[in-house]
Amino acid sequence: MLLYVESGAESKKSFTNTTMRLLLNLVAAAFNLRPSLNRYLRAQDGWLNFTVGVRTESGSVSCAIEFREGRVSVLSSIPERSEVVLVFRADAAVKKLLGATPTDQIYMLLKSELRVEGHMGYMNLFFFLLSLLMHKKQARQMAKERDRSKRSLLKSSPRPDTSLSGELASRRSARMRGERVDAGVKHLEDPYLPEYSLEDFPRLKRFLDIHLSVKPEVCPEMPEILTRWHRQHGYETDREGRPWNPILRKGEAYKYFMEQRRPIVAEGSLLAGTTTSRQVGCVVYPEGSGTLIWNELFTISGRTYNPFDISEETRELLHFRVFPYWNNRNFREWVRAKYGNPLCQQIDERYAMYFSWKQATISHTIPDFPKILRLGTAGLMEEIRREMERPDNDEEKTATLKAMILTLEGLRAYAKNLAERAALDAGAESDPARRGELQYLAGICAHVAENPARTLDEAANLVWITWVALHMESMNAGLSIGRLDQWLQPFFESDMARLYSEEERRAYIKHAVELVGHFLMRCTDHFPLTPDLANFYFGGSSSDQVITLGGVTSDGEDAVNDMTYIFLKATEMLSLRDPNMNARFHPGVNSDVYLRRLCEVNLITAATPSMHNDRAMFAALEPMGYDIRDIRDWSATGCVEPTLCGKHIGHTNMQMMNMVAALEMALHDGRHPLTDWKLGPDTGDPAGDDFKSFDEFFDAFTKQFAFLIDRSIEYNHMLAEAHQYLRPTPLLSSLIGGCIEKGRDVTKGGAIYNSSGTAIVGLADVTDSLMAIKKLVFEEGKVAFADLKRAVDENFAGDPALLALVRNRVPLFGSGNDEAVAMANRITKWAHDYYGAIPHYRGGKYTTGFWTMSQHVVFGTLSGALPSGRLAGKPFTPGLTPQPTASKNLLDNIRDVARLDPVNLNNNIAFNVKVVPSPSDSHEKTVHDMFSYVKTYFELGGMQMQMNAVTSATLRDAMAHPENYRNLIVRISGYNAYFVTLNRDMQLELIERAEYRI
Amino acid sequence: MREPLLLEIRGNSLDDGPGIRSVVFFKGCPLSCAWCHNPESKRAEPELAFDAERCVGCDACLAACPEKALSRKRHGFIDRARCTLCFRCADACPSGALARVGRVMTVEEAAMAVMKDKPFFDTSGGGVTLSGGEPTLFMEYAGALLRLLKGQGVRTLLETCGLFDMARFRETMLHSLDEIYFDIKLIDEAAHRRYTGASNVQILENLLLLLEETGGTAVSVLPRTPLVPGITDTEENLSGIAGLLAAHGVRRASLMSYNPLWHQKAEMVGADDPFGKKGPMHEWMEAGSLRRCRDIFARAGIEV
Repeated sequence: MLLYVESGAESKKSFTNTTMRLLLNLVAAAFNLRPSLNRYLRAQDGWLNFTVGVRTESGSVSCAIEFREGRVSVLSSIPERSEVVLVFRADAAVKKLLGATPTDQIYMLLKSELRVEGHMGYMNLFFFLLSLLMHKKQARQMAKERDRSKRSLLKSSPRPDTSLSGELASRRSARMRGERVDAGVKHLEDPYLPEYSLEDFPRLKRFLDIHLSVKPEVCPEMPEILTRWHRQHGYETDREGRPWNPILRKGEAYKYFMEQRRPIVAEGSLLAGTTTSRQVGCVVYPEGSGTLIWNELFTISGRTYNPFDISEETRELLHFRVFPYWNNRNFREWVRAKYGNPLCQQIDERYAMYFSWKQATISHTIPDFPKILRLGTAGLMEEIRREMERPDNDEEKTATLKAMILTLEGLRAYAKNLAERAALDAGAESDPARRGELQYLAGICAHVAENPARTLDEAANLVWITWVALHMESMNAGLSIGRLDQWLQPFFESDMARLYSEEERRAYIKHAVELVGHFLMRCTDHFPLTPDLANFYFGGSSSDQVITLGGVTSDGEDAVNDMTYIFLKATEMLSLRDPNMNARFHPGVNSDVYLRRLCEVNLITAATPSMHNDRAMFAALEPMGYDIRDIRDWSATGCVEPTLCGKHIGHTNMQMMNMVAALEMALHDGRHPLTDWKLGPDTGDPAGDDFKSFDEFFDAFTKQFAFLIDRSIEYNHMLAEAHQYLRPTPLLSSLIGGCIEKGRDVTKGGAIYNSSGTAIVGLADVTDSLMAIKKLVFEEGKVAFADLKRAVDENFAGDPALLALVRNRVPLFGSGNDEAVAMANRITKWAHDYYGAIPHYRGGKYTTGFWTMSQHVVFGTLSGALPSGRLAGKPFTPGLTPQPTASKNLLDNIRDVARLDPVNLNNNIAFNVKVVPSPSDSHEKTVHDMFSYVKTYFELGGMQMQMNAVTSATLRDAMAHPENYRNLIVRISGYNAYFVTLNRDMQLELIERAEYRI
Repeated sequence: MREPLLLEIRGNSLDDGPGIRSVVFFKGCPLSCAWCHNPESKRAEPELAFDAERCVGCDACLAACPEKALSRKRHGFIDRARCTLCFRCADACPSGALARVGRVMTVEEAAMAVMKDKPFFDTSGGGVTLSGGEPTLFMEYAGALLRLLKGQGVRTLLETCGLFDMARFRETMLHSLDEIYFDIKLIDEAAHRRYTGASNVQILENLLLLLEETGGTAVSVLPRTPLVPGITDTEENLSGIAGLLAAHGVRRASLMSYNPLWHQKAEMVGADDPFGKKGPMHEWMEAGSLRRCRDIFARAGIEV
């Protein structure tokens, strides 16, 4: 009987199976026979033992390769115990993979032609081992792919258009003057600081050049030191075999790491300390996303998008000593092991429905910098010690407080090491001016290692050192800096008060501009370690360290001050993608002079800052029950999302949610088309006669959406548990209000305010699609639902008239149509109410945002045609921006977006507007037009707006001739990126955005 | 009151006066300039337009037309002699390739349509511009609209060809205007007749009267000349205009660079286009010739 079944299974197999087995046999033979390869199978702790299955959905291919005790063998069936199985959609996909370039392979994964069942770490290890055989070929393929694309671009645009690149550069020489009207501006005669340009700051120019030309390198420091410590002291249990309390384990490991890591004062910098041991480095967080680059250890330096250098030593370190140790000790695999590869995780790993950021990090928050500036580490430790003395502390509280002390000791040790380093560097420095600076820096570091800051220089250094220290604990993704203009202003003022001569004061203001420039440049010394797939998922995104300027004080007074304008000057001169600059404007409180300057900087840099309306944000946050004084102290985080500074763990980028997937599932009775997966509940089939009214269909849509939301939150809760165990963050907790008193880590709800925020992708596309169904099917009866659905399934091929009808005869969101706005409000309200009612594991609520990072591109790639007439694979609109065809009149867009009820947008929005300055207009007129749009939008109640001031023609020129545009920043949806580092799909999406001449 | 047809109300205009403006385009004009850049505005009657680029070829219009006035074989698609302007084809067209040009709107409807952009007028220093076509063909309507807008605190501007009855203009429109952009195309009367179909005597008279009457008031008048290659941009014409303006104390005027995009629009409504398919009438103006024209005005002491 058994034999019969086996032969039956065997007979199903195809010729492709024979090919696959042959290939696996070659792989096995290579590893068995060649010692130079075989050595990679033995890591520091022993042989790497695992089995990888390969099959097709139909079973036409089914075999496995087993790595055990240094021997590799090929199996004719896939054993139960296999760590991971690669499942191909069909034989064709197997064949495609064999000839695919690395980019093709990524698209195969994204498009579900290939899916992975089981342990991602072992998949990555398997691909690493394959790359040992093939990486040279892969590198050649990637180079060829790049050449091909370069050639085709040059064909369409052989010569650079210097009038276009010149126009961008010429904006830098235009200068407006500003009146001193803001009450908080005490010392700047002209707050626009028109007398300075980058030419006045040679060091900043040099830093900028380094930033734009040095390739980041994978930094081995953190994984090396942490793994070393853990091998000695244990992970799950300590040396005596007792289970570790995770937070104490973290505290001890962190302190050791901070004591051991290299103190560096970057050449020429006015700030001591670096986030990595390299000039520009990528931090490897081993318990987070670190192991995701295992497969790329050989190829990462040659990949097309965001290549990183990696040294031979680092590669060996990561493969032999680090990744095997963390292969099960990371968020994803911890959840998979504990919950048995749950459905909610499987959905996430198909890329097309939602993406949970928590598998990498929670970090989207803003620490209480004013507190450490005020108390120093000594005062902070003193406060914690006092709390420790309370008689009624439970065990968890005692451990948490102890861990906070340990991490603060780590920070202190690092600052002291920096002081020593600066003194040593000073001794070796030949330039007397620099020697003086280094000696001065040594003094600053020695002081702020324990004490409160007294001057602007000390404050900037203490913020920077703390910033570095926080990144040594949480991932460099979305951790944000907050209201630095507010927090540094008192130091600026007290320094200025000690200067008497006009000349000294002028020199000091220039120094402040330079210091802020150094701070911004220091923030560029690290880059998140992105696996290649992330270049398609979050293309060009950097660490997204948001600094937020302006707005009002916690008392509601105008907060714009000298430092606000000093930050704007540095922003204008440097044009960096990151720190991600954001600015608050409070209509009726902040001045037009300030708003006009924001627009001028936006025009000169082409893309930054992003602008927010305080009034709309307050309206969104007040129903959350937050104290109004804390609401007034909000600041953008990661992209645009609100965090109440120093008191709030808002994990504001918990996930990216593809709302279009829910719509597609509603159109297919719960089946998700791309993955061909019946996931959601049965809600009816438009091809039948199941929907009698539009409301019935809307109901089906929300049921599918609820299904996806529920699964994503399940996953969020599981990952939250993983964070509590694998990555408590006691240092961050010591700087978030509430944690010390409660004695709880932020991962366990220690903060005063708790929430998690989602980013919902596809609002305009879903609104327009639902409008098409409502109007054409149910109200006007112009088309039967079954016919519309069939056209959508066929990507409108063969029905151009229906395509024209949906594109031209349906009022869209952004066209100035009341019904479309009502539809958008209905959707956002539903999402807000549904998310808001789900119990949150830390207390607090789930919040809803409508911005998209770059997911509108990738989720668009992974979605079929829509009833709105958007064709299969095309990008959605960025953020909640209306479709380019909604209206020729930008004001219709602006008005409609402003009419969305802010209450439902409590994790903010991203509204993109591409404006194109007219060559015949003066700088002043262009700025004035931009100002008029933003100011009116805010007065109408709009929440956020971001402008790209660049033409499609310029972007096309930049695609073909990137060398002329290396610092051209563009706003994607919430964050900035250098245009030339984006993948092709994203570049085209930006080019195709609606463009409004101003 | 003579009810006009409106072509469109275009929001977010940055070229028809200061700030952000909404422009109300009237249909119908007493002149018939050969180069008219809004050829669909020449006639006061409704028209059927066909945009071949938008057509998806579904033939829904052919089925809808009761007169059999549409044919794919026909250049321009529409047999305008047969067409009775019932617009059934436009209603049936899914893509908007066939469209009705000109629609009736009450004064109140037009006012509502522009008032939604009032917040933008206020922050930018913009307002509403009446253009066309020629708004003064419908003075009572235009005057009523202007009064309504002024009552709401909207700044108003008229773009005019200048051919109107001054007495009635004074009575109905002048006092509800903040600015007037007044076109002078050709100084030579014969040339004016030839290219626009009407004499310029009354136009010049009106201009001089207006300059005199508005001097010292809050209403500003800006004379404008469209630069049309070989027709209005000649040395002779421009120095003639500049001389006249200077003699009447004008210090600021406007020269409008030639825009060749109108040919396409003329074809859509089947309007006359005597200029063939090639030549200077199909080119954008070069910076050099624009500078030359500006210099002529500058020499007369007029800023452009």
